[in-house]
Amino acid sequence: MTTKPLRHDAVLSAKGLTRRFGGVVAVDQLDLHVAHGEILGLIGPNGSGKTTFFNVITGLYAANAGTVSFDGSDITYASPQEIYHAGISRTFQRSRLSLPLSIFDNIMIGNHKRLTQRLWFNLMNRRAFKAEFEASYAEAQSLVAVFNPPLAQRMMEPVTGLSMIDRRRIEICRALISRPKLLLLDEPSAGMTHEETAHLMKDILDVRTRIEGLTIVIVEHEMGVIERITDRCVVLNFGRKISAGTFAEIARDRQVQEAYLGLQ
Amino acid sequence: MDPGLIAQHTMNGLMLGMMYALVAVGFTLFFGVLDVIKFSHGDVLTVGAFTALAAFIGMRSIGVTSDAAQLLVILLVAIGTIALLGAVIAKLFVLPLRTAPALNTLLITLMLGTVLREAVRLFYPDGANPKPFPRLLPSDSINIGNLNLRLDNAILLAAGTLVIVGLQFLLNRTKLGLAIRAVAQDEETARTMGVNFNAVVLITFAIGSALAAFAGIMNGLYYNEINFGIGLYLGVVGFSAAIIGGLGSIYGAILGGFLFAALQTIGAVALPFASAYKDVFAFAVVIALMAWRPTGLIPEKLSERV
Amino acid sequence: MALAGLDKKPSILPGATAVVLATAFLIVLLRVENQKAVITLLAFGMVAVVATNWLGYFTPVARSFSAREDALGPFTVVAALVVAAVFHEDHFVLLMLCTVVLYTVATLGLNIQFGYAGVLNFAGASFFGIGAYTAAVLNQHTAVPHLLVLLTGGAMAAMIGSLLLLPVLRTRGHYAAVVTIAFALLLKTFLEVNDILGGPQGLQVRGMNIFGWSFNNNIEFAGIQLSFYVSYFLLSLMILIVAFLLVRRVERSWIGLNLDALRLDETAASCFGLNIVRWKVTAFLLGNFLIGTAGALFGMVGGFVQPNNYTFADSLILVSILLLGGIGNPWGVVLATVLVVIVPEKLQVIQEYRFMLYAALVMIVLLFRPEGLLPRPVRRYFSEWRS
Repeated sequence: MTTKPLRHDAVLSAKGLTRRFGGVVAVDQLDLHVAHGEILGLIGPNGSGKTTFFNVITGLYAANAGTVSFDGSDITYASPQEIYHAGISRTFQRSRLSLPLSIFDNIMIGNHKRLTQRLWFNLMNRRAFKAEFEASYAEAQSLVAVFNPPLAQRMMEPVTGLSMIDRRRIEICRALISRPKLLLLDEPSAGMTHEETAHLMKDILDVRTRIEGLTIVIVEHEMGVIERITDRCVVLNFGRKISAGTFAEIARDRQVQEAYLGLQ
Repeated sequence: MDPGLIAQHTMNGLMLGMMYALVAVGFTLFFGVLDVIKFSHGDVLTVGAFTALAAFIGMRSIGVTSDAAQLLVILLVAIGTIALLGAVIAKLFVLPLRTAPALNTLLITLMLGTVLREAVRLFYPDGANPKPFPRLLPSDSINIGNLNLRLDNAILLAAGTLVIVGLQFLLNRTKLGLAIRAVAQDEETARTMGVNFNAVVLITFAIGSALAAFAGIMNGLYYNEINFGIGLYLGVVGFSAAIIGGLGSIYGAILGGFLFAALQTIGAVALPFASAYKDVFAFAVVIALMAWRPTGLIPEKLSERV
Repeated sequence: MALAGLDKKPSILPGATAVVLATAFLIVLLRVENQKAVITLLAFGMVAVVATNWLGYFTPVARSFSAREDALGPFTVVAALVVAAVFHEDHFVLLMLCTVVLYTVATLGLNIQFGYAGVLNFAGASFFGIGAYTAAVLNQHTAVPHLLVLLTGGAMAAMIGSLLLLPVLRTRGHYAAVVTIAFALLLKTFLEVNDILGGPQGLQVRGMNIFGWSFNNNIEFAGIQLSFYVSYFLLSLMILIVAFLLVRRVERSWIGLNLDALRLDETAASCFGLNIVRWKVTAFLLGNFLIGTAGALFGMVGGFVQPNNYTFADSLILVSILLLGGIGNPWGVVLATVLVVIVPEKLQVIQEYRFMLYAALVMIVLLFRPEGLLPRPVRRYFSEWRS
């Protein structure tokens, strides 16, 4: 991470981003810009490169070509840790919570940069540690209460006992607790009913008002959700961007219809 | 250095390389097919060697004296028994732990290895001491130029090579091999294609263990001696060889095995005063290689999906 | 899930009762010599444990320990002192008790590495031995104060461990496994061929001597004869208390959380800013420090150190203790160490078979109860804190 952040309209900017796996080009010369404060929908058929895109942005896979900049700084080859510290947080397509740990513990994992990590503080300065613990507990509790108020009373329970929907909610809380600038949501509503999905989206919008300037990129398959909550969409197919614009615009796009429905 | 000594070292290196490669291939097969580290592999080798010895003693006691017959029978008995043992291990300890963290399989097989090793030490008559292994190969030697080539070593090398070639053939040219490779690549897809997953796993473990038994017999025939600890040592070496070669790659395992043997030979030549140091040298280089190329010389297959 | 009496503190009684019963059992077991009596006693013990579990009495005990540890901890220490007092003249029993205490410290170190951070270490006994060898060399050739020698033993184990693991920490778990196994095998061979470190016979270790008071002399206190091992036992116990508290503090802090996070899901942990290498190294060094310190004292207690006592098989015993007791739970470590060290000593017939037996036992545990005897409870940052 090099230059100090400048105020740009695009908070995240990918140019010519490419990622290959052997012979397969998962992300192909992708130009994608996310404006500050917007909610961007990232859609496309299965295997179109959406999750790979997230993985490259967050530093899990190295880009083969192209650049990514965030808040004015080049993060193309930054490590996942650096990217987190810069203010990008994410959820995973396949739920990745630490099952034996409590709800509170799982959320605190996401809070790493705001917690004091010094050995002396943790081992010897118990009074100060307790203060930090109680403040973090209160914060985590109020965040969980946005998504599921009864769950906020069970913060010390292990996650194994939770329903899948509650687990997804906790995963989102984990991503939000650090007050990120950019939130990447990878199919957050997978496996949920329409009602549960609507509920979740309402909660996400609610949380967005609490974190100033929060920008969101959301991968989704349910078009109703995309239509309702996103400001703009980008459509991928075979790793390439085939369309971009508001939902209404891309829904009319012939290429998009072909990609999804296989029309000639 | 005189050519006779070079030849001796080279032959020794090749023999070791062959044995390490055979063990390493087993490790890589297990990892490839099931993503498991089966730490009992080396001790299975020990059991194989001792089974062969027991078979030999049994045959001698019933009056069979022909070297060739003895050799054939101990090979069949040991390899057959150990192949069965490998399958049983897979069925009882590895398959049930598939859903548990991978660490548990490593631990359970590590403990199993201890049980096997201690069982040999405690229950085989006088198992704690090294036992002489019979000379069943012709001990003549032929002269090529001014180099002396021992026939038994040549046979061992040839046999080892045949086994490895045979394995390659099995994996690349037969339906079974195709099934094994399919499972190694992607279990779910293989299943939907009609591959009997459990059967493939058991057979793979049987094959890998059979290779270990063969390596154990080779070891016995070469050194004319076996002891209850050889498997542990060969297992650690074989595993390291499989890692630097690249876990999941057969070629990598073979490469790793010969590489380790080469390092040991170089170490033995460079430090003639203490043979123990050749191992330290070889392992030190291997650890450095692991640091430089963590996924192995022939990259480890990507087993984690993010 | 409503817990009855959530606002009332769980009683100290179940935990205290368990400690009293266990101590009484231990004292009887240590007293008994006749092999048949030992077998009967152990069988009785097993039946009692199974029955207690079946009747559901383990839950209140676990809750009691979990919530009232600040009182039950000292209570257990008192119980240990009572055991030592009962056997104050018995050299053999006290030596065994010292071994139990020091092995517990070493396994607590292993617990930080393996139970929390998930870093495999199959050379625990080797690092224990390094501590002992350090004590041997320093006590013999230097005038370093003996308490400092203990810490140096820990530092040596940490240092050598870091050389070993640093290149490997970036990669997968099984690499650490093979590197530590190789180290365990090679170190033994190395020590055996090097006469400068005593070769196969090993070295003598001069006994502990603090401020002029030699530990190796029998003590007479208020007219009572005490075995010289009593001093060693008291010192070992103090070290155990410090080690236990350290492990507790680590677990009940953001550090413990970091270690759990990286053990359970390294990829996700990286995405949330965790420096994987830094924390694995910290865990490994800290763990090795405990192991080496315990080893240094162990060397002084025994009076000699030789390569044959610190083999790969011995390292596996430490790992077995951890897995049997309940990985990640320090009380489980205490309990399992007592069983693993004392039972083979009392039941002579299984001494020879103990490596095999414990390996088989661990296999059974891994198949049917992988969380061990005393499963690790969910993290509570403060034992008396209620939400």
